[in-house]
Amino acid sequence: MKKITNRAVSVLLIAALVVVGMVVYILRFVDNGRDWALYFSRANSGSTGELIDRRGQTLASFSPEGSLFAGDAFTRTANYHVTGDFWGRSGTGLLSAYWTDMQGYDLIRGTTQAESSILRLSIDTELNKTAYRALGEDRKGAVLLCNYRTGELLCMVSGPSVDPADADAVPGDGAYINRCLSSAFTPGSVFKLITAAAAIENIPDIEQRSFYCEGKTTVAGVDIICSGEHYTQTFEQALSNSCNVAFARIAIELGQDTMVKYVRDYGLLDGHELDGIPTAAGSYPTEFVGDPELGWSGIGQSTDTVNPFALLRFVSAVANDGVLTEPHMLLDGGEPERTRLLPQETAQRLGEMMNYNVVSHYGGEERFPGLPLCAKTGTAELGDGTSHAWFAGFLSDEEHPYAFVVLVERGGGGLTVAGELANTLLQAAVNG
Amino acid sequence: MEAYAQFAQTLLGAAKFCLLPLSVAILVRCVRSMLSERYEPELWAYLRLGRETLPVCHWENIIGRSRGADLRVDRAGIGRVHAVLTRSDRGLWRVYDVFEQGGVWVNGVKVGESGAPLAHGDVLNLAGTNTRFLDISPEKRGSLANARTSAGHTVPPFLTLIYLTAFQLLLLLEHALSASREHLPAIALGFCTLILLQWGCYNAMRLINRSGFEVETLAFYLSSLGMSVAASSTPEDLYKQILLTVASVVLFLLFGWWLRNLKRVSVMRIPMALLALALLAVNVALGGTSYGAKNWLEFGGFSFQPSELVKAAYIYVGAATMDRLYRRRNLFGFIGFSAVCVIALALIGDFGTALIFFVSFLVISFMRSGSIATVFLAVSGAGLAGFLAVSARPYIAQRFASWGHVWEDVYDTGYQQTRAMSAAASGGLFGKGAGAGWLKDIFAANTDMVFAVVCEELGLLVALCMVLAMLTLALFAVRSARHGRSAYYAIAACAAMSMLLVQLALNVFGSLDILPFTGVTFPFVSRGGSSLLSCWLMMAFIKGADNRRDASFAVRPADRDSGRRPEEDEGEVRRT
Repeated sequence: MKKITNRAVSVLLIAALVVVGMVVYILRFVDNGRDWALYFSRANSGSTGELIDRRGQTLASFSPEGSLFAGDAFTRTANYHVTGDFWGRSGTGLLSAYWTDMQGYDLIRGTTQAESSILRLSIDTELNKTAYRALGEDRKGAVLLCNYRTGELLCMVSGPSVDPADADAVPGDGAYINRCLSSAFTPGSVFKLITAAAAIENIPDIEQRSFYCEGKTTVAGVDIICSGEHYTQTFEQALSNSCNVAFARIAIELGQDTMVKYVRDYGLLDGHELDGIPTAAGSYPTEFVGDPELGWSGIGQSTDTVNPFALLRFVSAVANDGVLTEPHMLLDGGEPERTRLLPQETAQRLGEMMNYNVVSHYGGEERFPGLPLCAKTGTAELGDGTSHAWFAGFLSDEEHPYAFVVLVERGGGGLTVAGELANTLLQAAVNG
Repeated sequence: MEAYAQFAQTLLGAAKFCLLPLSVAILVRCVRSMLSERYEPELWAYLRLGRETLPVCHWENIIGRSRGADLRVDRAGIGRVHAVLTRSDRGLWRVYDVFEQGGVWVNGVKVGESGAPLAHGDVLNLAGTNTRFLDISPEKRGSLANARTSAGHTVPPFLTLIYLTAFQLLLLLEHALSASREHLPAIALGFCTLILLQWGCYNAMRLINRSGFEVETLAFYLSSLGMSVAASSTPEDLYKQILLTVASVVLFLLFGWWLRNLKRVSVMRIPMALLALALLAVNVALGGTSYGAKNWLEFGGFSFQPSELVKAAYIYVGAATMDRLYRRRNLFGFIGFSAVCVIALALIGDFGTALIFFVSFLVISFMRSGSIATVFLAVSGAGLAGFLAVSARPYIAQRFASWGHVWEDVYDTGYQQTRAMSAAASGGLFGKGAGAGWLKDIFAANTDMVFAVVCEELGLLVALCMVLAMLTLALFAVRSARHGRSAYYAIAACAAMSMLLVQLALNVFGSLDILPFTGVTFPFVSRGGSSLLSCWLMMAFIKGADNRRDASFAVRPADRDSGRRPEEDEGEVRRT
């Protein structure tokens, strides 16, 4: 029997492994318990919370009784990328971002009831609905609109979207990605705003120059093609013509180092935060490239990508005399951060040129009735025959100090597609 | 209504913090009683060797030169394991020559392969060394047995059972506050049934003068947690669970009683093996498929997993008395039987259970043969088979692939584990209260993720007590093995506990992403009748090995043994 007993250690070995496993679990639990617990905690902490838009409309709420998204399916879908959901499907919605702050946790009690958290948002649900309706169910894109004086974000829509309350919804491709914050796209001609700003500051006689375009220019044996033949034009005309020849030459003249410096300074290469929600960084050729590539990069092609939110920051700084009021959605977050992104003169001059664009080339009063609009179009060629349609700018109107970015992914022409959407959005924003 | 809700909340809060002290008290009392109380060997006979007198403490003893021999005879020519001395139920002794060199003679007659009877005063010659065998009379044995410490001597089981009853009533109270009105009668009936069962068993044991009740106490403790999980997850199905609990306890008593008689047990091993194979065959042929494994049969509203019953049968067949241990063909027979069982389980697709069987096979074959080489051979063979299984069954490969990465895919491959971990952590150390969790509503929470359900509702500390209760039972099985009458009981108890521990490990660590997710049950606590039944049957093996004085109904007391009266008085022994 002694022998048998000695062999019974095999049971002790298994018991020891169970103990080791439990120790591993306890260590992991101490380390990650908070993240684990709050990931799916739903309402079992007993906490309550609510998201309320600027009109006082409840977008989402949760309590021990359950969680719900308010409004009809269309409202919920249009606002999905603002709210996110209770299950973390969208990583960027406010519910996902603030979920852990909206309830308590400690190791001993587990999830606990936090103070009731009511998040008041600057978002205008109706404006989001207008934007989502204008974008349509079938198009992908991003629409952003903020007050450039206060930094309040009024509209943030990303398509496709999904109704978070509908458990059986079949989400479209990428419906859980907020294109406003989490993606970067080839900018095309909207990027000429950056090249123009750099030129205003670095080429003293830029306003006296004239640029000649006969449909293309050859740089070191490589052709840079223009959208038209613009012949002799001033700097201002070149921007409104969106002349590739002129801006490629300007970028080459500025040099890659200067271009990189400005792209970086304007915050287009970095990720930012919208109320703590991280946004995607853009890209620009920072490693040495030759002049032809530099030329293409100056007109928003090459390897350039821009995140819509980063572009919104830039245009609202331009609108606000060069000072960026950091865009945000939470109204009770205190005084927003203000930083000077570009000198006042540069911002004002660029603003005038953007207004000239609208008045002289985009159809002015006819296409954008009643709007003191300053803007730039972009039709970013993707090399497969399709193009992203961009329209970015602001209203030079103290009553309605709105900056906006509209992107329709593979949507076609900047002015006709994104510009029209922007008009719908702005009319709604201005006229209620 | 408001006032009532507030009162309920306060009550719930108070109950919550009482569950842990009660759990700890139950556990500590059982541990003290099972693991630290004195546990003297029984005494059956003596072997006189020159001036030395060696006590014969078991029904099965190894005689040899080895340190591990029960009767150590360190003389020239004697093998490390030279002979085996066994006692039958009827008190007849027999000696077997297992060394096969040097020889064994009884009163000058050489002992053959089938052994030879040995009686009081016989001269046992081991390779030329003469020893004399001296039996002890039943009366003398009775008085010797009475001098041993009885079970429950220092820690009376009565008070432990009072604590357990308080624990169950608190659980019932918590459920009463959180459950919907329509399910209250079933939940109340469930806990009351447990209380009645345990006190009924306790009193029955008192009547037949048995005082060891720790194994039952721990089993009832775990069953109470199981009842709590069932009450929160599937209250509408509770009557079935109650019925099966009663059936399990009754079968536990019957099976324990059956184990008393070793001869009866041995005779039934072959029929039991055939029954196990038949059950598996029926399962392979007719099993209903659920989530990859077709491991259940439907019987008049009860779904039933044959593989659970086969677990007990497997141990019943696999354990062996010592005289058989040293005959190789017996081990080969067992290896063949094991292979058929594991292959059948693989065909059924129940790889978790196949793994549990395999580990039990390792434990049993190691305990039987003591050969690490055999174990290595088996492990490498199984490794190969496992590899084939993983590559052949995509859903198993997927479980391995998602292992350690469950948070990367919380909606598909990591669905269950991430929810289990989240719910478990959200309960903290003391839990949200019985019935107040959300994990219970997730599919298979009450079986595969039951550890997390207990963590969420009753707290991590009670969940740890649940694991410690199982570990205590395992340590007790090992401790009992040293004092067991027969190798059969020792092997069976150790194999049963290793089976349950492996099952526990796969269940707990699978749901917490420490091991790949296999979807096996937590002993006693996971919902499921056949699983509960098999766990209670396993407890009968532990009771069979519990050889403390007056401890177990599954062990016949020494003084009432129907032994043969030896012709001589053993007073002679004392004089030497």
